[in-house]
Amino acid sequence: MAKPKKKKTFDYGLLLVVIVLVLIGLYILHSTSAYNGQNKFQDEFYYLKKQFFATTLGLACMYAMANIDYHIWQRFSVPAYILSLILSLAVLFIGDEYNGSKRWLSFGPLSFQPSEFAKLAVILFLASMIVKQGKKIKQMKTLLFIMLLILPIVGLVGASNLSTAIIILGIGVVLVFVASPMYAQFIWIGVSGIAFLTVFLATASYRLERLAIWRNPENYEKGYQTLQGLYAIGSGGLFGRGSGESIQKLGFVPEAQNDMIFSIVCEEWGLIGAGFLIILFLILIWRFFVVAVNAKDLFGSLIATGAMAHMMIQVILNIAVVTNTIPNTGITLPFVSYGGTSVLFLLTEIGLVLNISNMIE
Amino acid sequence: MRNKTYNRRKILIIFLCAMFMLVGLIARLAYLMIFEAEYYQERAEQLHERERSIKAARGEIVDRNGVVLATNKTVCTISVIHSQLEDTEKVIQILSTELQMDEAEVRKKVEKVSSREQVKSNVAKEVGDRIREYELAGVKVDEDYKRYYPFNELASKVLGFTGGDNQGIIGLEVKYEEYLKGQNGTILTTTDARGIELQGIAEERLEPIAGNTLQLSLDYNIQKYAQQAAEKVMQEKEADKVSLLVMNPQNGEVLAMVNVPEFNLNEPFSLETMKLEQAPADDEEKQNLLNQMWRNACINDTYEPGSTFKTFTTAACLEAGVLNLKDGFYCPGYRMVEDRRIRCHKVGGHGSETFVQGIQNSCNPVFIDIGLRLGVERFYDYFKKFGLMDKTGIDLPGEAGTIMHKQANVKSVELATMSFGQSFQITPIQLATSVSSYVNGGKRVTPHLGMKILNKEGEIVKEFSYKEEQVLSKGTSATMQQLLESVVSEGTGKNAFIEGYEIGGKTATSQTLPRSANKYISSFVGFAPADNPQVLALVVIHNPKGIYYGGTIAAPVIRTVFENILPYLGIEKTGESLYTN
Repeated sequence: MAKPKKKKTFDYGLLLVVIVLVLIGLYILHSTSAYNGQNKFQDEFYYLKKQFFATTLGLACMYAMANIDYHIWQRFSVPAYILSLILSLAVLFIGDEYNGSKRWLSFGPLSFQPSEFAKLAVILFLASMIVKQGKKIKQMKTLLFIMLLILPIVGLVGASNLSTAIIILGIGVVLVFVASPMYAQFIWIGVSGIAFLTVFLATASYRLERLAIWRNPENYEKGYQTLQGLYAIGSGGLFGRGSGESIQKLGFVPEAQNDMIFSIVCEEWGLIGAGFLIILFLILIWRFFVVAVNAKDLFGSLIATGAMAHMMIQVILNIAVVTNTIPNTGITLPFVSYGGTSVLFLLTEIGLVLNISNMIE
Repeated sequence: MRNKTYNRRKILIIFLCAMFMLVGLIARLAYLMIFEAEYYQERAEQLHERERSIKAARGEIVDRNGVVLATNKTVCTISVIHSQLEDTEKVIQILSTELQMDEAEVRKKVEKVSSREQVKSNVAKEVGDRIREYELAGVKVDEDYKRYYPFNELASKVLGFTGGDNQGIIGLEVKYEEYLKGQNGTILTTTDARGIELQGIAEERLEPIAGNTLQLSLDYNIQKYAQQAAEKVMQEKEADKVSLLVMNPQNGEVLAMVNVPEFNLNEPFSLETMKLEQAPADDEEKQNLLNQMWRNACINDTYEPGSTFKTFTTAACLEAGVLNLKDGFYCPGYRMVEDRRIRCHKVGGHGSETFVQGIQNSCNPVFIDIGLRLGVERFYDYFKKFGLMDKTGIDLPGEAGTIMHKQANVKSVELATMSFGQSFQITPIQLATSVSSYVNGGKRVTPHLGMKILNKEGEIVKEFSYKEEQVLSKGTSATMQQLLESVVSEGTGKNAFIEGYEIGGKTATSQTLPRSANKYISSFVGFAPADNPQVLALVVIHNPKGIYYGGTIAAPVIRTVFENILPYLGIEKTGESLYTN
């Protein structure tokens, strides 16, 4: 009997969703950033050009990753993690400041956000660490040990970029949760996490203020961005103003091409368009899920799970912030918000997942 | 190491969490975008829209024949938009020449970095048009309306004027504001966050609705003539001021209301007409002077009516049945009331006289006698019944009320003085309205100016109706007509006599308070034709110099007014045959 021909497992569905999201993202980014680009740089394509460059680079990386056996990365996972620590440390000293945050490292004309790289590094690092633990993973202390391993990067990134630190921590928790057979302990982790967050928020008055702004953005000057986002969303209605017709992007929503870009999507495309975009993200997450569940081994499964966690945390938090469902924190919307490093590493990560999908037996 | 079942189950849990949360967020979005959409849309629109108002043209005021007394003139406002300026020097040079403004002043405004700077307002339309033809970038010429009164001073205190926002400030302009003002329109333009108008977004335009036209009972010709007559007597007698009121006693329509000195309605804030010796010291003083200048003495000020009020005493006594025209009286030149000696204006006295002679002579003791016959209670009852306690209800703001003794404090002396029109105060319009009711068949009419509201096409939108009330009997009224006719044909009012007309009237001369100042008010109220009055006129001359008797100086004013307006009103001479026989 001839050995059955290897089934084609490469996830074209995932690839298609990603391509669609990238194209839509570029389109929205251009439409949203044209006004700011024109006013600040006399070039309506300023933001698009940079994003396009990063996307092209990202697509190349994706292609490369899709064709390299992901098991290789198990060897590089520790050096990658150490590199991310070094870069994150470096950014604290020699980083560029933009909009009051020190998050960028410059290499000539290119700037780079180490925290984006850290997300990918943490996914690889945790996946390989968990695999190394073998059966020990069933022990509580092993879980704690693994969580402790990522605390340095969470701390370093959190020093300049709290939101990304939360994402990294979230990815870590998801991976550990998936790796461990336990449930009860995670409920405890969840409860203590909430308790910690409460104490954390209550200890600093500016964080409490953030909560107050969240409740009543109208009453605070700092609620301006949130409020403008809500105006944009509300203005959209069911069908939106039409593509390119947003008025809120004309300087009302500050830096509309960044974190708040989803509110402009709502304004232009209405509930229908915004809902469609969310469903695209959900399909993407579903494809990650399918890859994670079917992956050949635990390593691949954990990488796909990490990518899924990364994607879902960012999408959910971003939309939750834009709709003022949770207090404001700066998280970008994958593929849509302006940010070259983000799109570069997202695409790299997806290349990795594509390769995992290709290896499914 | 293989992927275990529990790993898969946990990945599923994570995925389901994600799905659950994303669906939740879609629900949240649906709530915001459907149920709260209206609220946020409205707030967003308020943020995006800049409203520019388009002034509505204020309605005109026309006289009873359609002569325009108040209208609008198009004026221009010149402003510059700094960000759109191209050739600043050229703009400064052209604007300073065309607007005849100092170059430095223009330069300051043009070079000021502001979104829109007004250079000059109230610029004549021709100048605005010329500036527009230069097509200067960044220079805006906006047309605007300005209230304009073609006859400057005519009926100034009646018409009133408007302020900067085109709202009425005094007079009819205030009273009929709701009909005149119209509704301003708006242009809503959408702008970006910097306030720059967006092209390609349709601007919402709400057209202004012009105000309606107010048609008055006032007659331009009568008003003009009455003003001339009033000015003439004011000048001749060096009087402080003269009020002259002409109305139709049958229905209360005011044909003329003159208060000289009038002021220029096109320059209402200029004190020029007051002929001050020195400029006011401060703003407060200036405002007081302006308020003084704007006062409509016919309705805002009260005075002691004096002998013209004897008409009331006569009418009341006739109604009460305490007076017969044949009753005899004796005037020794005074009358003792309790311990007070009240003088008649004729020092030697009028001697024996009938009541008819008494009213012709305007003899005080006669009226003291009949007033005392009437008694305090009935005097007050009629005073109220004839409407003297109430305001006339004329459609002008600020009508003054009657100043009267409290009934409880009135003893014989006060009653005696009130009987010939002293020791209390009423407005001229009150007197004219009262006398109207005594001679028009007994109706208390509401004096008024506003007759109709017309739309732009001249169609009637609203016609005003005014209250009328029968307050005394037709018989008494007929008697009053005869009595007052005889005052003019044979008595103190003979200076108002015009051959061929039957004119009724009553003179008055009253001393103003304090009596020691020796200042007088002379007045005369007249009506014609006496047996069916169509027109009633009252003149009140404040502080005339020299001879101050009403019969001597006030009656002739009404005669000249009547000589001119009776033929104009189509009232035919009737008495001529008497003399041609």
